[in-house]
Amino acid sequence: MGEYNPTILQGQHTNDDEILAKTPLDPKALGGDSSVIIMELLQRFKVRDVMKRQVISISRTATLREAQAIMRENRISGLPVSENGRLYGLVSVNDIINGLDGGWMSDACEDHMATNLVVLEAGMPLAFALRYFNNYTYGRFPVLDSNRQLVGIISQRDVMRALLYELSVEIRKLERKTRGGHEQEDQSKEHYFRREWAVVRNDLSRAGHAANDIKGLLRERKIDRTVVRRVAVAAYELEINICIHSHGGVMVLLITDETVTITAKDRGPGIPDIEWACRDGTSTANDWIRSLGFGAGMGLSNSKRVSDEFDIQSEVGKFTKVQCVFRIPKTGN
Amino acid sequence: MAGDGTSPRAVGAVVANDLMSDVLLHDADDILLLTSLASDQAIRTAHIVGAMGVVVHNAKPLSETMIKVANDLGIPLVSSPLSKYDACVRLHDAFLAEERA
Repeated sequence: MGEYNPTILQGQHTNDDEILAKTPLDPKALGGDSSVIIMELLQRFKVRDVMKRQVISISRTATLREAQAIMRENRISGLPVSENGRLYGLVSVNDIINGLDGGWMSDACEDHMATNLVVLEAGMPLAFALRYFNNYTYGRFPVLDSNRQLVGIISQRDVMRALLYELSVEIRKLERKTRGGHEQEDQSKEHYFRREWAVVRNDLSRAGHAANDIKGLLRERKIDRTVVRRVAVAAYELEINICIHSHGGVMVLLITDETVTITAKDRGPGIPDIEWACRDGTSTANDWIRSLGFGAGMGLSNSKRVSDEFDIQSEVGKFTKVQCVFRIPKTGN
Repeated sequence: MAGDGTSPRAVGAVVANDLMSDVLLHDADDILLLTSLASDQAIRTAHIVGAMGVVVHNAKPLSETMIKVANDLGIPLVSSPLSKYDACVRLHDAFLAEERA
């Protein structure tokens, strides 16, 4: 097969886009214009915020038949061919049909995969990504980070789903502003914002990135400063825990009108003695981890200390799940 | 090393620590973090506690990723050839000089 040379779309900025990104989201100033709000959301969010991080992929030497089985099981029409994070090509339903027709289903994927791929960069704003969805007929785009590593896959549905969540937040804010600030929001439990971050084991260069993002998101929503601080500390401690002590996991942020909840869930190895783990100064960190500034043994106790509600569950060999709830103080007028 | 140095802010408190867990315990505003931990983690921890800057002492080499994270998160990053103790003394003297002025 020829030299791997995908077209990486990076999205050239135009002046209008920059101005839009700097414009604060003030419904009054925008005249409550929903199309401008949508544009702002599309600028604010990046491909990485919305993409699926669990990429189903196949190796170059696997057969087309295996590719067909994976695509059928997972109901996808495009299967990236990748190894160790490097993207080599894509097998599509068309390739399978041609393979069935031509009788070469036992051939390796690399012999028939498409290699002139259009991929998106993780840091690209959604506004640009949507333009490319329009220009190309592909249902999904693989996503690469700045090191050309395959980090996700994004479809138009992923984008629409994320936009719907955000739009519902903005619409509620607009409704509240027009009604006046004093009324109780009885539907407060229904209205929520949720985001997930993958945490990779021992990936110390990225460790803490979810907590940094979480802090940024809460500040954007103008949540009480002291609450933001406490959430950020708990999120950071729990994320580092996943990174240095577990096989990997996820951080989940859930914001309702009354609470902010951080959930840290990993795939193991589990904590044999939870009470011991939650004590100040107890840690299972090895010397290497300590040399990097971690492992003081304060993670769980710090998170517990700063949260309003703290829950930890664990099963050895299976998982650990820690949840911290923070109450948002009601602002009096 | 990072930050545009065009918007000066007053330092509220100096935290000199290499254990990021301990840094997280501080609640003051506008902390200046003084550390020998030349890693992305120092920057990320600084961002979490709302620190206004990070000084890495002993002239420890700063990696490109550390500088990039500092730029991404908007945290001014300074390298100093002094030891931790000397840097603390210098900062303390500066505080006293400001108070007297």
